Amino acid sequence: MAERSESVPLRQSFIFDRNLEVQSMSNRGPNLERNILVFAVWAVLGFLGLGIFLEGMARDLWSLSALGIALIVAAFIAHIVINGIFNTGFTPGETALGIGAYGFLGLVFVLGVASDGMTIADFYSGLTLFGVLAAGFLAYLLTRHGLRNAFSQFHIKPASEREAAK
Amino acid sequence: MNWLPLYGLFYAAVTLYWARVAARENGDVETYFSAGHSIAPWISALVIAGASISGWALLDGAEQIGAGGFGLPALLQAGIALALPGVLFFKRLWLLGQRLRLSSLGELLRAYYGSEFLVAFAAAVAVLFAVAFAGLQLAALSRLVVLLTGGEVSLPVASTLLAVVLFGYVVIGGMRAVSYLGAIQAVFAAVAIVGFTGFALIGLGGFGQLNAGLVALAADPAKATRFIVTGVIQFTAGAGREAAAGHEGTALASLSVALGLMGFQASPLAIKMVLSSRSPRGLAAGQTWVMAATFGGLVALCVACLGAAAMVSSGFGIAGLLQSVSPWFGAWLFIGLLAGVQLMAGLGLLTAGEALVRNLYKPWFHGRLNRRDTVNLTRIVIGLLLLASVLMQNLTPVTLTVLGSLALPLAFQLWTPLLGITWLRWITRPAAVTGVGFGIAGVLLTEPFGIAVLSFFGLDLPWGRAPWTIHSAAWGMAANLAVTLLVSAFTQRRGLGQEAQEMRRFLSEILPAGSRARSLRSTAWSLTLAWLFLAVGPGLVFGNYAFLHADGSWALGMPSLWGWGLLFWVAGVGLVWFLSYKMEMASPLASEVPAYEPPPRLQADQRQAEHDRLRVLIFTCAVGFALVVIAALGFGR
Repeated sequence: MAERSESVPLRQSFIFDRNLEVQSMSNRGPNLERNILVFAVWAVLGFLGLGIFLEGMARDLWSLSALGIALIVAAFIAHIVINGIFNTGFTPGETALGIGAYGFLGLVFVLGVASDGMTIADFYSGLTLFGVLAAGFLAYLLTRHGLRNAFSQFHIKPASEREAAK
Repeated sequence: MNWLPLYGLFYAAVTLYWARVAARENGDVETYFSAGHSIAPWISALVIAGASISGWALLDGAEQIGAGGFGLPALLQAGIALALPGVLFFKRLWLLGQRLRLSSLGELLRAYYGSEFLVAFAAAVAVLFAVAFAGLQLAALSRLVVLLTGGEVSLPVASTLLAVVLFGYVVIGGMRAVSYLGAIQAVFAAVAIVGFTGFALIGLGGFGQLNAGLVALAADPAKATRFIVTGVIQFTAGAGREAAAGHEGTALASLSVALGLMGFQASPLAIKMVLSSRSPRGLAAGQTWVMAATFGGLVALCVACLGAAAMVSSGFGIAGLLQSVSPWFGAWLFIGLLAGVQLMAGLGLLTAGEALVRNLYKPWFHGRLNRRDTVNLTRIVIGLLLLASVLMQNLTPVTLTVLGSLALPLAFQLWTPLLGITWLRWITRPAAVTGVGFGIAGVLLTEPFGIAVLSFFGLDLPWGRAPWTIHSAAWGMAANLAVTLLVSAFTQRRGLGQEAQEMRRFLSEILPAGSRARSLRSTAWSLTLAWLFLAVGPGLVFGNYAFLHADGSWALGMPSLWGWGLLFWVAGVGLVWFLSYKMEMASPLASEVPAYEPPPRLQADQRQAEHDRLRVLIFTCAVGFALVVIAALGFGR
């Protein structure tokens, strides 16, 4: 509705002024809703898992760390289920964040091992985390894209080669 | 390593991310206030439930149980008490909002009653929620920040930081940011409640150990009254004047506290969220399964556990728990708590800013304000409200507490005009206005704010807070209802405006009472009254002894009143489900709602009138201030 006219009497003017916001359904609605769910899942399961994992490291308890890893895996599974519901995959931003975080944590782990400041429980906790995440990532690619196409996800040909192949 | 700044930064980044998303969706400023009425029903349900519980349940509910025990069982029924008004009002208000293209409670009240007083009152309630009610919770969080950082962050810095994060996403993203982020915050806050409970139980050694501690407390004659309701009513002069026998937790205290809680979903905040939704499809599910079942269960089980743990040992209060757990868990739980509080505070600020600018300032004083300026002015007002809140948190915490305690009982006074709009056609405009006026007086005269103001002017009331152990919400509603009934009886011939008639006609057309709902009407009344009587009313005295063995030991292994509370929480979920779905009070509706086209009217130039109104306002304020100063100097002390 249009902006109300300046000459409308007080009460009536208000009645016409209430509708400045056009009723609209956002085109990005489903994607936004997916993102909200993804954020909620990671805020809950991801951070709780991280906390329990760190608690296991602090207490030298592999079993506790493994529980934290299980929660992180559960967050991934929930993320994939949400993707399935909304018929989409991981966004480029999510992929970059995930791989970046994996690389950063891997670096921290390697530095920790190299500096000899890790207990056996910490070492196995770290190995379990990276092993499970790597295995989970591969399993996701294989189940979503198949053996052949999973490889293609990383094998991006330069434009010149694509042209030549044609 | 202190994890709190790390988690805090991450939280701030997430809020800014959603503010950016919301701002882009808003298309400049076009849908800043109501998100184009496009909020998904499930998001709306989560935000309403999360804002209803907010940080209140953890910060105040658990503390009250920890300090006073189970003597106020209405706290355990918070989820049901908060859900019932939504069942009663939301569907009809959404339909009316859609039909007349209204987007706030103030607009609804103006369209139906044509009363500027009611509009101003709704705005005042929104401001109270935004500044005082939310301010109280933010102040508590700021104190926790000071505690968790070992004093490295001072209280003013902590409250400013929390306010800056809140300000950022509300002014940038408007209703979309509040909603999108609110859904995440609601989930996070709910999980934080579970997390706090888990850590408390782990710390105590399990649920059995918790109850063993409670048994030891109950064996102490000095503390045994914490596990019972001290009668139906006690005719005391009120807190601060005359102490009640045992404690002030009578059955009527519980009932009146439950009524106070029912104020939230009649407040401009909740109704703003409802009117911003794109469909009423989520109302029944939201009120039944999200609000009553999930959040109600969190209160009846988890918050009660936390309160009980704090009773057993003060180290298991919220602050104690945050300090005792590992820093990463402490930071995670704190952010969950912060999310719950900021959810309600953000919604409150947006609603209050809109109410002040769009519902009051613009129609009264500046009708030519364009869309962009309206939004920008609202942003400035939101900033000022937040600044006032921060200043009060740091400089006048007592005043903040006193004002904060007014929000819920005053919001509850909006029930009568809302009932008039949605259900009771016989409530006339003069009755609603006068009733609310008397309701406000009833609340103020039984709350520390009114008592302190009158005392300042030299008038000492012979009662204190909550006389006869009845909360101000009920005193206000007693006055409100009595006057509404009386005035309605005498003013039935007064006609309503065109919009009000259209609202009545539209509701009766689109919501004809189904045969099943009609046949179940008496059952619905009976169930509702029975639940109110037994769960939060005088029937609570049965709960004192319902689950006790003959030798006085606890039959369920937990306090009898707690067991009673859990039983009636389950019954309450059933009641909300029955009213929502079977009675079709909040059930989904498939009909299209065409917009109402008002007949064209001749429009007069308002500039001179607006100018005159501004002059009258300034003059009235000056005279009022002078009168207050003179009265204070003459009679005050």
